[in-house]
Amino acid sequence: MKSLAAPLLTAVATTIAFVLVAIAFFAFLGKPPFEMIGSLATFAFGDAYSRSETLAKTTPILLCALAAAIPGRLGLISVGAEGQLHAGAITGTAVVLAAPDLPMAIMLPGILIAAAAGGAFYGWIPGVLRARLDVNETITTLVLNYITVLLVGALVFGPWRDPGSQGWPATISFPDAATLPALANSRIHLGFAIGLVLAVACHFFFIVGRGAQQVRILAGNRKVGEMFGLSFGFWVMVLMAAGGAAAGIAGIGEVSAIQGRLQQNISLGYGLTGFLVAWLSRHQPLVIVPVSLLVGGLVAGSDALQLFAKVPVASAVILQGLLFALALAVPGLLARFSTRST
Amino acid sequence: MDGEIVTLVAVWTIATLRSATPLIFVTLGETLTQRTGVINLGVEGQMLTGAAVGFGVGAATGNPWAGFLAGATAGTALSLVHAALVLGARANQIGAGLAVWMIALGGTSYFARPLVGGQVTPLPNLGSDLTDGIPFFGPLLDQMTLTAPLAIGAVFLVGWWLAATRPGLAWRAVGESGEIAAQNGIRPVFVRLQAIMAGGFLSGLGGAVLSIDYTQTWAQEMTKGRGLIAVGLVIVARWQPRLVLPVCLLFGFAEVAALRFQSVGFEGSSFLLATAPYLAVLIVLVIGHWVARSRSAMPADLRALFA
Repeated sequence: MKSLAAPLLTAVATTIAFVLVAIAFFAFLGKPPFEMIGSLATFAFGDAYSRSETLAKTTPILLCALAAAIPGRLGLISVGAEGQLHAGAITGTAVVLAAPDLPMAIMLPGILIAAAAGGAFYGWIPGVLRARLDVNETITTLVLNYITVLLVGALVFGPWRDPGSQGWPATISFPDAATLPALANSRIHLGFAIGLVLAVACHFFFIVGRGAQQVRILAGNRKVGEMFGLSFGFWVMVLMAAGGAAAGIAGIGEVSAIQGRLQQNISLGYGLTGFLVAWLSRHQPLVIVPVSLLVGGLVAGSDALQLFAKVPVASAVILQGLLFALALAVPGLLARFSTRST
Repeated sequence: MDGEIVTLVAVWTIATLRSATPLIFVTLGETLTQRTGVINLGVEGQMLTGAAVGFGVGAATGNPWAGFLAGATAGTALSLVHAALVLGARANQIGAGLAVWMIALGGTSYFARPLVGGQVTPLPNLGSDLTDGIPFFGPLLDQMTLTAPLAIGAVFLVGWWLAATRPGLAWRAVGESGEIAAQNGIRPVFVRLQAIMAGGFLSGLGGAVLSIDYTQTWAQEMTKGRGLIAVGLVIVARWQPRLVLPVCLLFGFAEVAALRFQSVGFEGSSFLLATAPYLAVLIVLVIGHWVARSRSAMPADLRALFA
């Protein structure tokens, strides 16, 4: 009971602080704060359409959060989901462009596996650098992000551009066989189901079995783990690649189900948002699911807010940054307060 | 013929220097911060904010120096958020820096939209009728503004200050061990606050130099990871201010090479070439780690964060 009380108190205090800060933020912008928060909630979860939009945004956020959380279980700080998402978008699209006439039964698994492999490879690079040379993974993942984003630009402006697109930098539209199936009249696609399954699978992977134990020991104390013959480097590479695979699937999901073709700006900063979600959830896969739903609602809601209330969508990024800052500040402040009072 | 080659070398030298100048300020600032045992990934956000505020003030006043000052002030102000989280709430430093970055990312694209398409008065170049005829230095000075010599001067000033003054010693002591520094009458929290603010000042200044002096425009997310690259370059420079100059020049050279080759090649190749600076940083980071695997210059209190 006691172990549950502290995280709960932190969560409640953070939420209250965030609502207060959001009120202050909208007031500062000169918008009626309560009305804004009300419409944000309505636009996020109010009707079938907004729920579909929210789940469409939740999908890449969930997968990118897993991309940060999986290496996070070992104590690694990977901020590379944005780059891995773009890597997966590239490799997944490559399958479609190489063999556009494949039947769906081969095409769909093909693009998903290719995307996961692309993301995994792009996660493995900072993993191997950390494992072999002790290069800090946070900095390499952040710098690597910019490279695949630029590669997408090079491809859609260059060799992959559809000649029939009249100058618009994008590949051909994906054939039906390469479009991830979605629920009727919605943008809730297969990627969301994959994200849920992955979250549950991760949950079990990290609580049962020998792998879970090894990761836990190494995360707690690398030196002790290595004394017992465990390999830190092995797990760094495995978990970085596994996280990258999740982000890669997010990439092909956006390309196939949302955009319908590869073009620039396929991600609305999902990598960083996913990192925030993973951090808020303390890298616990089953906590990530509801938290990405809430943050997905914030992103989708502020998208609609831009249309109807003329609040630029950048407000969502500011709110995410403030939420992050509060989530970091509140536990420390609570700890200070409680040690002072006892 | 020889004269042409000399001119070509001069053109490349000055282009490299101009590209590196904003980064020198930022990397120098982050070096100071990290020497006291604090890592601040928020420099990306501080640089972006410095670029926006500096450009705005520079455009409004018509005075680039007012813009530099405003950008540096804005960077300092934002660094206080990092300081409050890290020193006040003892939050995770990496997380706090990313939060600062997100706030700045959203904040600048929200509030700096009117600056798109704005114009600033650039700094005058250092060339004159007297220097025009001189080989190498003539074309060099025609493109050079005061920011580059200021950046180089700052490198030597910070290097000297850190190595040879008492406050510099205090900063280094705090970076090696906050605990032992405290036992010797130094207040680590106060020193780290100063170091984070110094980093904020220099990264904000670097941002303002980028938008006012280098690109002379404002664009959303225009720093494009330069602040994050600076954090990497601090490691490459082994936390030594004097090594900040060569590593930043290397980045500048990679960027200039990419810009120069852009005109040739296939469509979309400009995107491919634009990856050069990022690849260059990764490569030197890997080589740096390869070479220095045995001995580490990392401040001991900082190492705890990386382990």
